[in-house]
Amino acid sequence: MRDVAIIGVGSTPFGKLERQGIVEMAVAACRDALAESRVPREKIQALYLGNFAGERLASQGSLAAIVVNRLGMSGIPATKTEGACASGGIAFRLGVLGIALGLYDFVLVGGVEKMSSAPTAEVTAALATAGDETAEMRTGLTFPGAFGIIMREHMARYGTTRAQIGLVSVKNHGLGAANPKAQFRKPVTLDEVVSSRLVADPIRLFDCPPISDGAAAAVLCPLEMARDFTAKPVRVLGTGHATGPATLWESADVTTMPATVRASREAYAAAKIAPADVDVVELHDCFTIAEIIATEDLGLFPKGKGGAAVEEGWTALGGKVAVNPSGGLISKGHPVGATGVAQIYELVRQLRDEAANQVRGAEIALAHNLGGTGVVSTVTVLGRA
Amino acid sequence: MTYFRAVDPFPLESERYTKLHEFYTRLGQGRLVTTRCAGCGRVAWPPRGFCPECRSDRFEWADLPGEGTVAAFTVQETGLPAGFDGPRVFAVVDVAGHRVFSVLREVAPEKVAIGQRVRLTPMRVDDDPEGKPRWLPAFSPV
Ligand SMILES: [Zn+2]
Repeated sequence: MRDVAIIGVGSTPFGKLERQGIVEMAVAACRDALAESRVPREKIQALYLGNFAGERLASQGSLAAIVVNRLGMSGIPATKTEGACASGGIAFRLGVLGIALGLYDFVLVGGVEKMSSAPTAEVTAALATAGDETAEMRTGLTFPGAFGIIMREHMARYGTTRAQIGLVSVKNHGLGAANPKAQFRKPVTLDEVVSSRLVADPIRLFDCPPISDGAAAAVLCPLEMARDFTAKPVRVLGTGHATGPATLWESADVTTMPATVRASREAYAAAKIAPADVDVVELHDCFTIAEIIATEDLGLFPKGKGGAAVEEGWTALGGKVAVNPSGGLISKGHPVGATGVAQIYELVRQLRDEAANQVRGAEIALAHNLGGTGVVSTVTVLGRA
Repeated sequence: MTYFRAVDPFPLESERYTKLHEFYTRLGQGRLVTTRCAGCGRVAWPPRGFCPECRSDRFEWADLPGEGTVAAFTVQETGLPAGFDGPRVFAVVDVAGHRVFSVLREVAPEKVAIGQRVRLTPMRVDDDPEGKPRWLPAFSPV
């Protein structure tokens, strides 16, 4: 296996991007990543592109092939990856494997989603297809409802408080306010979070991410070649990819996501690090409670202590481990297929000391991407090269 | 412009597309059933047409009790898909050790509690494209 480096990243802003279609956004992010890497387009040997609902929400299939075509790179293999909200994380990992295994020297990875063009009810229905058709989503359950059940269970089982969970939203909105790529650029107070509109008890509006458009991309090459292209390559120390239950009724304990646990242990083992070594994390806060559960499942805090960790400020910028300095999905936005690659974009900037909310001296970074209520997860550990 | 959608939005509940459709037929008769593997005798939940333990695809139907207890729930107020009105109570109901995801009916949302006893009251939903009735699991307080 060869060591892999990231030598360029690009991203559109996240938000309601008017006059930008799904292909245009993907092309824009790829163009920026290619420009930053200084790799000429004819050297790129493959594209992996994460996308969840392009056929349904943007009426566009064959997405990866069309994107390489528009980039003037037609001919190379181009693959769309789909794993619900973890589609981007899967694309990134396949790109890493392509280089690690010696199949390719230069790979472009990306992720994209266009959501604002469809009515909210259609977006809801499209996202709900990540659940098992024959069971949950058929009843009208949507992801806020599923995570409402999970949040209530976490509160009952571990004594996690409404205020602790709300502080995730306060932290992430505060950080997102300083991120020029973020959809929401405004801090919120705990009072505003816990009195915002009830969505699925106990989940309220400010516990949820927005509907977003956006794309992100990265250029990968073998570590040994990276310094020919950039003075600040970022090294991929380890990756993990795992699956878990598709539904709440398959989980004996809904307060843990086995896919996150398994993917993170795989990534830690490959990187030869322990959770305590991680300095900065971009994780899948598809709801406030999901951030608390992820910090536990990633082994950053013991099970049931994630709420207290937020309250103590351990996940804040300047805390023990900075969690979601980008603002996370809740504030930065969540164009689902783009999210996994956008997390890589943010962490590469952290490890190059270029981030909007820079974690000073960060050496080890971790990205965590989750699909559905835990049906799939990817985890990536990055370090300075 | 509107698009004509020719596909059945829920093909896995159709007699035409799945051998497991009888789950819904029996639900319409007020019975909650699941599959018992004809190869090794394991009872699955939810119903499964393939047994990963012995790799058999033969099964028979087994009745489950019509009562259970609420193991987890939420009251969803907004963010429901088109065609659904809030508030709607979703619950995981423990039925003989199986975790049955369902809707709670005929209950005041503020009165739902973990451990509450509930009984099966199947819920009729939109007919299939051929006009036959469709049902989903739902429970009401005992
Ligand atoms: Zn069997």
